[in-house]
Amino acid sequence: MNIDKTQIFTGEELEILQEIMNIAFGKSAADLADVIDTHVVLNVPFISIMQVMELPDYIRKHVKDYKNISIVEQHFWGRFKGDALLVFSSGSGKELIGMLQRGENVSLESDPIEILERETLMEVGNILIGACVGKVAELLKDVVTYTPPMIVLERYYEDAISESEFDPDKVAIVLKTNFSFSEGDVSGFLFLVTSNDSIQWLREALQIFIEQYE
Amino acid sequence: MIKKILIVDDSPIARKMLKSCLPKDQGFEFHEACDGSEGVEKYKSICPDLTFMDLTMPVMTGYEAVEEIIKHDRNAIIIVVTADVQLKAIKTVLDSGAYMVLRKPLKKEDLLIALSKAQDTLQKVE
Repeated sequence: MNIDKTQIFTGEELEILQEIMNIAFGKSAADLADVIDTHVVLNVPFISIMQVMELPDYIRKHVKDYKNISIVEQHFWGRFKGDALLVFSSGSGKELIGMLQRGENVSLESDPIEILERETLMEVGNILIGACVGKVAELLKDVVTYTPPMIVLERYYEDAISESEFDPDKVAIVLKTNFSFSEGDVSGFLFLVTSNDSIQWLREALQIFIEQYE
Repeated sequence: MIKKILIVDDSPIARKMLKSCLPKDQGFEFHEACDGSEGVEKYKSICPDLTFMDLTMPVMTGYEAVEEIIKHDRNAIIIVVTADVQLKAIKTVLDSGAYMVLRKPLKKEDLLIALSKAQDTLQKVE
């Protein structure tokens, strides 16, 4: 079922949301670049509104070229609430371990590789998601709390995204951005999914944000 | 004197936010472009006194557009206004010839300081 975006947000509200997402992911990238000596190549973020039941197919469509994926997921809640899904291309965990090992203060000792991959992806995911969601919330004068990150490690994309996790009655506002690293074969997508519970507050918060610039 | 200002940003709301932070009583003549390629073309046709440039844009990025404009006019005053605040991003555009980098969301006071510096530089060039 297609949803008319303008019934939920005006064109200007969508543009404000997109610009806020752009600012927020820029902050995430800078925070990550402080930890890993690399440059995160950013792309223009995109906003889409859909029924939640359409979301698994939407995500699959965007990540299908990766075949196997890893997903770091965190729930966040404040007045702005939802889920952040950070999808990494296959092999990103091992690449990131290598990049972190180049750092002087990192001791990865001799844990099994799967544990290292899991911990590395969760840490990187935690930085990217926390900085991005935190910045969106900060710009909209909100404070959010997070669940600890959960991870699905190296699974075929069709199986990695579960239909049952999403409440079919809800509308999803999907803020998508894709990224890659200038060094190392690491790329992925960040999806922020917030439901219609947040829409009224979000519309008001967007208006307050833009009033600073009127 | 700064008269003609070119704003290059794919986000209409970002262009609006930037314009709202600039003084209203200076009689600026605004020109806008929504990607780097259009920005380069407009730069060549209108020769603005000051250019504001985003980095993350479709078609042609701000990194490429800064290089193209500087190749065309090495005295171009380009203030990069970006959400990409990674040190490598900032260093790259400054090395390419950008005048300075301001981070999004813009603060009016930062923009006014930048404008004043650009004004001084323009007077020295003239």
